[in-house]
Amino acid sequence: MSNSANANALSTEEMERFQKLSNEFEPDVKGPAVSVKQSSHNIALEYANADPTLAAKTSALALTHPTTRVMRGDGNCGWRAVIFGYFEILFNLRDPHRVQAESQRIKNLNGLLDRVGHQQDIYEIFVDETMDIFTQTLTAIQNGVHDESFLVEALCNENQSNAVITHFRLLTSAWMRLNPQDYQAFLSLPVDQYCSTRIETVRTEIDEVGLQALVVGIIKDAGFGVEILYLDRSEGDAVTPHPLTTATPAGATIRLLYRPGHYDLLYRPEVEVNINPMVNYQYGMTTNYAPWDQGAAHNFEISPQMMAIPNLMADPAFAMGPDPMSPMSSVSPAPASPYQPSPTHEMYPTPIQSHAPVPAVPSIPAPSPPAVQSSAPKPMMSLPSRTSDGPQIRMNPFAMKASLNRALPVTTPFKNSPYNQAHFQNQDFEPIHWEPSDSRR
Amino acid sequence: MDYTMEDTQNSAPDAVGESKLNSSAPRNDTQSVTKRLQAELMQLMLSPSPGISAFPDADGNLLSWTATITGPTETPYEGLTMKLSFAFPNNYPYSPPTVLFKTPIYHPNVDFSGRICLDILKDKWSAVYNVQSVLLSLQSLLGEPNNASPLNAQAAELWDSNQEEFKRHVLARHRDLDDE
Repeated sequence: MSNSANANALSTEEMERFQKLSNEFEPDVKGPAVSVKQSSHNIALEYANADPTLAAKTSALALTHPTTRVMRGDGNCGWRAVIFGYFEILFNLRDPHRVQAESQRIKNLNGLLDRVGHQQDIYEIFVDETMDIFTQTLTAIQNGVHDESFLVEALCNENQSNAVITHFRLLTSAWMRLNPQDYQAFLSLPVDQYCSTRIETVRTEIDEVGLQALVVGIIKDAGFGVEILYLDRSEGDAVTPHPLTTATPAGATIRLLYRPGHYDLLYRPEVEVNINPMVNYQYGMTTNYAPWDQGAAHNFEISPQMMAIPNLMADPAFAMGPDPMSPMSSVSPAPASPYQPSPTHEMYPTPIQSHAPVPAVPSIPAPSPPAVQSSAPKPMMSLPSRTSDGPQIRMNPFAMKASLNRALPVTTPFKNSPYNQAHFQNQDFEPIHWEPSDSRR
Repeated sequence: MDYTMEDTQNSAPDAVGESKLNSSAPRNDTQSVTKRLQAELMQLMLSPSPGISAFPDADGNLLSWTATITGPTETPYEGLTMKLSFAFPNNYPYSPPTVLFKTPIYHPNVDFSGRICLDILKDKWSAVYNVQSVLLSLQSLLGEPNNASPLNAQAAELWDSNQEEFKRHVLARHRDLDDE
């Protein structure tokens, strides 16, 4: 009617339509709730053309933490990441007694729920689902299962995932309500109100205070460490680590990658991968390198570790490979500077690069080693130092500062290279029985 | 009497048996919603709160309930009984139920279709809330409307300016619904 007066007002129908849209709004979330372990290169690829700081940090991240697990961004990713990480560590420790002890410990935390007045018949349903995951973990260990896919399935199952997350939310909230003095100072609203509107809700993302409470109140007593790695545009070449626990034991630390509003899981290089006979086997079996393509390169999770082997390419011993067709043949067999760019410079363009051609690698002076160096995994540290001078870690081109803001690691030449055998410098992996004349001392 | 019969059918024996047997099998969602709603029903029967009641609809579908709230004393709703409908989603309690006033009600946070503006029924929903706590929240909302975000602006204004007139509107709009 009075259009002039209500020029900006919407009709009742329109209001109702908007209200309906608003009520039914679901953020566009895709992918599984918990992904399979995948290469951290994928993260680097996401940022390849982004801000140089982010590109540098993600490229370095792919070396220090070669694998990741992506959480669906549905408002529960932080909770799910910690919970999944917790059960995964428990599973990987493979100690049935510990699983039982943890199961009992978590069950005893029901006391917290009672003390803040939750009704048992309400919370029992959530606790039951958590206990079911403990049972599954125990059974898997006892049956000699090494594949953690049952955990992925459990936390991808909507009902079970919701129940377990609700359980941990309630435990966290109870912990905070019972220890308000530890948290009130960090909150802009009373602890009780914070708990009921941020922690106990079904889809509110965890924030730092909540994460702190979850870790200190619930996770820490398992003896596990928790560390957040912040990926932001702050100064530096590497993500900023922030331990939430005093100890971050190797093999028992949940590592969270934080990007504003989102958490994923990160993993340090696995010891098992370095000594995995499968890799050697593959090396021995592979005779045709031609079919390897770009796509395959990204799926090859060993590469980042190969790249980080100290002095690998600088060692003349490894340049005398028996296989002349190796793409590595361009490597000078002479002892090289630890910083000499490796032949991976003959890289294939990545899909992203195809739009923005990569310039040839500039012959830059040896850059100062970024922070990656210090966090090289233990087994590599134990390798004999091949050159007495120079750092233990030979910088590969992807760790070089100047190349960090380019898009990404193409590790194809390493992947099927005979030089891979350098990885297996222990007695068990002296496989070259068929060519004794070429044996490496 | 219908009620007691349904109760024995719906509750304990089946639910307990199932949960033991299938504790490690992939469970289906309907089963867990059912289990939860049965637990709530049980609790409402065993420890009823004064002024509220709720029960599954007679059609045997546990996902839709009818509830009643008695207006709190010393409010404009004193002495009135309001009916509400609850529709539970398949992933209840991880999503809130849809709650509507079936009885016509004049209230700042309820529109003329009976839709309710209450944060705990939207983004502040928690899986520990249940029919009982929702009804208690709604009961207190009757006496303490949230006039900062009204669905019925006139009612919000009147609540603040003229309680007499507000009560007159409440009584004018109220109409007892027939049972069933």
